[in-house]
Amino acid sequence: MEGTKRKRSLTLPQNKSGLFRLIAAVVVFALLFWRVGAVATVSQFGADTWLRLAVSGLILGGMYALIAIGYTLVYGILFMINFAHGEVMMIGAFGGYFVFEAFNAIPVTSADGTTLSLLNSYPILAVFLAFLVGMSIAALAGFLLEKIAYRPLRGAPRLVPLISAIGASIFLQNAGQLLFGPQRREYINPDLLTRGTGWEIPIGESSVMLTYTGVFSLVLSAILMIGLFVLVQRTKLGKAMRAVAQDKSTAALMGVDVDKVISQTFVISGLLAGAAGVMWGIHNQLINYFTGFLPGIKAFTAAVLGGIGNIPGAMIGGLFLGIVESVGPAALGIDFQLKDVIAFSILILVLIFRPSGILGEALAEEKV
Amino acid sequence: MSKKVLLFVFIVLAMVMASCSPKAAGSGVPAVCEEDSIGCAKIPAGSTIKLGMGAPLTGDYASFGVDISQGATIAIMDAEPIGDFNFELVAQDTGGSGEGGAAVANKLVTDETVVAIPGHIFSGSTEAAMPIYEKAGLPMLSPSATNPPLTQQGTSVFNRIAFTDAVQGQFAADYLYNKLGFTKIAVMHDGGAYGQGLADVVREEFTKLGGEVVAYEAITPGEVDYTATLSAIAANNPQAIYFGGYVAEGVVLANQMDQSGLADAVFFGCDGTFGSEFIEKTGASGEGAYAASVIPPESQAKIDFDAQYLKEFGVEAGSLSPYTWSGYDAAAALIAQVRAVAVLGDDGNLYVPRGALVQAVRNISGFQSITGDITCNEIGECNTAGPTFYIVENGEWVEAK
Repeated sequence: MEGTKRKRSLTLPQNKSGLFRLIAAVVVFALLFWRVGAVATVSQFGADTWLRLAVSGLILGGMYALIAIGYTLVYGILFMINFAHGEVMMIGAFGGYFVFEAFNAIPVTSADGTTLSLLNSYPILAVFLAFLVGMSIAALAGFLLEKIAYRPLRGAPRLVPLISAIGASIFLQNAGQLLFGPQRREYINPDLLTRGTGWEIPIGESSVMLTYTGVFSLVLSAILMIGLFVLVQRTKLGKAMRAVAQDKSTAALMGVDVDKVISQTFVISGLLAGAAGVMWGIHNQLINYFTGFLPGIKAFTAAVLGGIGNIPGAMIGGLFLGIVESVGPAALGIDFQLKDVIAFSILILVLIFRPSGILGEALAEEKV
Repeated sequence: MSKKVLLFVFIVLAMVMASCSPKAAGSGVPAVCEEDSIGCAKIPAGSTIKLGMGAPLTGDYASFGVDISQGATIAIMDAEPIGDFNFELVAQDTGGSGEGGAAVANKLVTDETVVAIPGHIFSGSTEAAMPIYEKAGLPMLSPSATNPPLTQQGTSVFNRIAFTDAVQGQFAADYLYNKLGFTKIAVMHDGGAYGQGLADVVREEFTKLGGEVVAYEAITPGEVDYTATLSAIAANNPQAIYFGGYVAEGVVLANQMDQSGLADAVFFGCDGTFGSEFIEKTGASGEGAYAASVIPPESQAKIDFDAQYLKEFGVEAGSLSPYTWSGYDAAAALIAQVRAVAVLGDDGNLYVPRGALVQAVRNISGFQSITGDITCNEIGECNTAGPTFYIVENGEWVEAK
């Protein structure tokens, strides 16, 4: 039904509400362009500022995208929103944190007599282990989350696992507060990845700094996203995941172990969230038990924006949301405190004009 | 029957007359007590002159109450007795709440030998206690109640040596413009009553002084990435960023200035961003950042006090709260005023005219103590020294010269 309607929308809409939507869309975008144009002509921002804003948004967006994929994978297979996903990311962030702490605590005396911490003697190993531990712990958390909070409710009405997810989220937050304390902890980076340092790109008279941590996060999230895409499209596990997403009972009849595939999906989304958590700590320095909440909500928004259930959609949604948050207020000439207002207004607009999201596909529509 | 009624009326009238009639002259009560608008506090021979304090001594905020009362205790120790009359501090627990403040005030006013109140500590508790002390004629001098409207309620008894946010904002704007010589600053705040209040005052005062506020931005507290906001501010090339808010966001802002094109700008915080956490979490990027504090500048008086505090209580002054020096000053200033108005009666009792004491406290002028010059204005704002500004140098807060 939706699919046929979308094909026709390139020609004139057939019914009144479609026409109304089209007119509303034209008006909204005309207003938006007028506003952006008006601001751009008087704006005091030079190219350097715009580049800084875009870079800041891209880095943030890369992390949103990684978390958003977790939402979308789980939704694609179980049709439920895993609201505890942000907490999985928080657990991953703490995993990496303790690796860095441990490395930093061990002094190593090298051959020429200088004493460095293990962290700075073997920075690449430290970073690698931090990601390994952070991702593994987050994957384990995702796995247990599914086993304990969602699997017993597999046959229940859809609202039940949703409430269970919210409960799990609150439980994990409180558990985090008890385990790690309420105070904010500082990620100790190896000197290689010192925050606030980076490559200076000269733009006109000034220069824009591409921070090492930011570039590192962005590149790593790109690699992970490509890896995931290959996994879903090219491997047997990916094929099984796609089959379960399309039709659980038929997939089961074809010999796919549905429960195992669901578990693996949670493990994969946990891995990505854990990586996002460690990146978050490396780039943004401060973490506490509440760290996962806000990125979780934002990533959920990104997943819906891109079309929930759609993996490239989650990536695009995440990057888009990150950029809108940082560039949007400047482009529209309003306070930066209102960045979330812009982000969520855009979400509402997208949902009005494209209810299935930017890259919403038939898969998502059948489930709505 | 009617005779009985008449008799009853007569008796009542006689009682009223008797209670109104002045006390028999020549009983040792000094003349000032007759003239005083409220009357005298009579301190019998052998008793102490008491200062009453309402402070949170238990619960979450106990460290403030304990610390301030300890500061005041040292002022009591330092005080010379008046004749044979020693001073004594009576600190009562308010739990930090308004109700607790009223309860303590009601208790203290029943003791005639309590003459003045170096408190209360929290604004809410102070507000609840004010009308009670007003009725009893007990002057207050609070070291730490900062809520601005407290002095605007028209009471004659409430005064404070704590500086309000408005005073801090004025001093900060003045420091930025006159002392540091900045002409273009950006002002940021966290959207809270405290942070925005400060930021608004700084913006107004800095503009009044002739400077230009090139950007005014609010941030959402609790986030860890403000690079977008900072980048937009960097486009206006401010020389400094004034931030009204708390240390959690102050740390993030100070850390992200370099990568947002604000490497040359100075981070200028408030008393909310002062403290060891700022230094721990900013490291190298916190060097050269400013903040304000109630902790007074170094002086001989402060060094003596710190030594005595350590000796008496076994901890460093300032480790419990930043208000202990103010606690000392409030008590010391009140003791000086009591000394000025108290009269030794012929009967060996000490008389403290309450009305005159209330006036004397409101008229304190040029009282020199640890926190600087204490001079009360007509509504009872007695802090003229303002906050002390501190700068991070080599990983430590040092007084900014």
